[in-house]
Amino acid sequence: MLKVDKITKYYDDFKAVDNLSFTVKPGEIFGLLGVNGAGKTTTFRMIMGLLEPSSGNVTLDGKKIDYSVTDQIGFLTEERSLLTKMTVKEQCLFYGTLKGMSDNDILAKLDNLLERFGISEYKDKKIKELSKGNQQKIQFITALINDPKLLILDEPFSGLDPINIELFKEMILEMANKGSMIIFSSHQMNHVELFCKKIVVMLRGKAVIDGYISDIKEQYRKKNILIKGDIAKSELEKIDGVLEVTEKSDEFEVKIESIDSVEKVFKSVSKHKNITKFVVEEPSLNEIFVAKVGEAYEK
Amino acid sequence: MRSKLNYLIGVSLKRKVKTKWFLVANIIIALVVVGIINIDSIITFFGGDFDDAQKVYVIDDTDRAYNILAEQLNASSLQIVDSEESAFEVTKYDDADKINDLIEEDKDIIVIHLEEKEEKGLTAKITSQSFIDTMDYQLITNALTNTKVSLNILDSNISIEDFNKIYDPIEIEREILNENEKSEDENTNMIMTTVFPVIILPFFMLSIFLVQMIGAEVNDEKTTRGMEIIISNVSPKTHFFSKVIAGNLFVLIQGILLVAYAGIGFAIRNMVGGNSIVNGLGSEVGDILNQIMNSNLGSQLIYIIPMILILMILTFIAYSLLAGVLASMTTNTEDFQQLQTPIMIISLVGYYLAMMASVFDGALFIKIFAFVPFISAILAPSLLILGQIGIIETIIAGFIMVATNYVLIKYGMRIYKVGILNYSSKGLWKKMFKAARKSE
Repeated sequence: MLKVDKITKYYDDFKAVDNLSFTVKPGEIFGLLGVNGAGKTTTFRMIMGLLEPSSGNVTLDGKKIDYSVTDQIGFLTEERSLLTKMTVKEQCLFYGTLKGMSDNDILAKLDNLLERFGISEYKDKKIKELSKGNQQKIQFITALINDPKLLILDEPFSGLDPINIELFKEMILEMANKGSMIIFSSHQMNHVELFCKKIVVMLRGKAVIDGYISDIKEQYRKKNILIKGDIAKSELEKIDGVLEVTEKSDEFEVKIESIDSVEKVFKSVSKHKNITKFVVEEPSLNEIFVAKVGEAYEK
Repeated sequence: MRSKLNYLIGVSLKRKVKTKWFLVANIIIALVVVGIINIDSIITFFGGDFDDAQKVYVIDDTDRAYNILAEQLNASSLQIVDSEESAFEVTKYDDADKINDLIEEDKDIIVIHLEEKEEKGLTAKITSQSFIDTMDYQLITNALTNTKVSLNILDSNISIEDFNKIYDPIEIEREILNENEKSEDENTNMIMTTVFPVIILPFFMLSIFLVQMIGAEVNDEKTTRGMEIIISNVSPKTHFFSKVIAGNLFVLIQGILLVAYAGIGFAIRNMVGGNSIVNGLGSEVGDILNQIMNSNLGSQLIYIIPMILILMILTFIAYSLLAGVLASMTTNTEDFQQLQTPIMIISLVGYYLAMMASVFDGALFIKIFAFVPFISAILAPSLLILGQIGIIETIIAGFIMVATNYVLIKYGMRIYKVGILNYSSKGLWKKMFKAARKSE
């Protein structure tokens, strides 16, 4: 289990990470989210042992993370971390060897992964000759070539088309099923929602949202109601407890301040004929993120 | 499991050596080195007369000046060391009307027409197809002036004994009070002033290669963010030393290759000249080596050479440590190029000071420079050979280099650890000084 325990990191007087705690269990996919500059990279660096926390500690299976355990970690950085003058094979041999693997193991794993990603023909090509998407695949391969116990994925879908995103998802879920702990970071909340059961949303180094997504959604009282029928937008806006009404193609999305307002909206809507849809929806993670982070931003 | 340090060293070396640019650069270097060693043969091949003495034809209307002039010209030499080879090949010619025809036949010759006039004494007309080499012209002018003086002395009715006394070389007894200096070493000093800059040029060149190699590699890994992955698997210390060791191994390989190219150059010279290996080095080089070996310096070489090598190795290590630290602080190759410029200028100053060391004989400032790290490897040996500093001072210069390397490792390592993961140039120096002050 990865345990991040009350870590704080100062750069001079600037507090980049403030008393952050979370745990990731084997087979779990954990989302670490935040706007740019929230402290995600500093947190990743502390988990990787690249930075020493000013206070608190990070342990993997009860052991402090140092160079004796980094062979069990895979790391995909947000920016391309490939040495572009190397060939795909040289690059994988390079990073694989630094992970303590033998050449034979690396090459066997590489052939298998290249085949799965459908890029076997690029094995001897230089990284700089590959497209952005294919470079991302190679970066992904180098992160999981050692079958890591802990896999850190910072914006893994960057530069990928929808087909390849599916391929990546499949691989990530496969790794989780095999028991890897996965920390996932993305600005695409739909991806996070799809993968992660637990998340931490960071803002200015602090966790502003923390816990299981289902609990977070439950605690987030604001809900959405989707309504389709002969009713005017202005009428919906007048209902007590309604925050905002958005017209989306042939239906309305009604944001309400709490679940208690559902009844009022229902009563008002049911007076009208031809109502073909009335669905109370959980808010999306994106909505919660924007609302919570925006709220904290204003403070 | 293989050592990550050894693996990183191997990868670094491979990235440098197994490239087409290394091959191309070495082909060019080899051609230049071999070409310089055989420059005389190349010039001769293309119709030059580098080795040949300048042909001079003398038409003597005085009937008495030729022998004196020929003797003067034959005694002229352009060599650094004493040489029996004359700069001129003098031939007597009789027909003054055919000067132009003579030059038409061989455009490289010089014709001197001597006449004697009552009011001016000996006069000369020098004819050639084009400009005469400055040194040749000066030697000819001196020889003609001496010939005129000789003729005038002869005309003043002095006895043969007196005449011979005038022209006998002066007997000089040289005494040097310093017991450690032999008079024959004076000439060696002159030779070393000329030869030493040629010997240290490869050192200067290799130090530039070293700084460039380490800087380019660290920057490449930083700019591609590959550094994040590398440093998450090996410690900054391991990474730093892998670059330093790989850089120095590269310098060693390149140095061996330079020696090999020089060997090939001399072998070709030997084949072209058809001489023995020693003579194949060229008579000038052979003469210089003989003179050095016979001097006091020759017996000192047994400890001077190892000391120079140790000083150079220590300086290479210092260059590589500094290059690694500076490269870690910069965020791209352009910044590194700018940051390394002052180091290169300091090194260049050392090189020029070494070349001009004999000019500053006895000056305190040049002796102080001999202890300055990075310069000392070039300057201290030069001053040692010239006798301006002693063996103790050279050892002190070596110790100062050791101390410099210690400081670079101790404080540089701290900067490197912070620098390699820093991608912002904002407040860079503040960050680095802070890192240097912070203990492990």
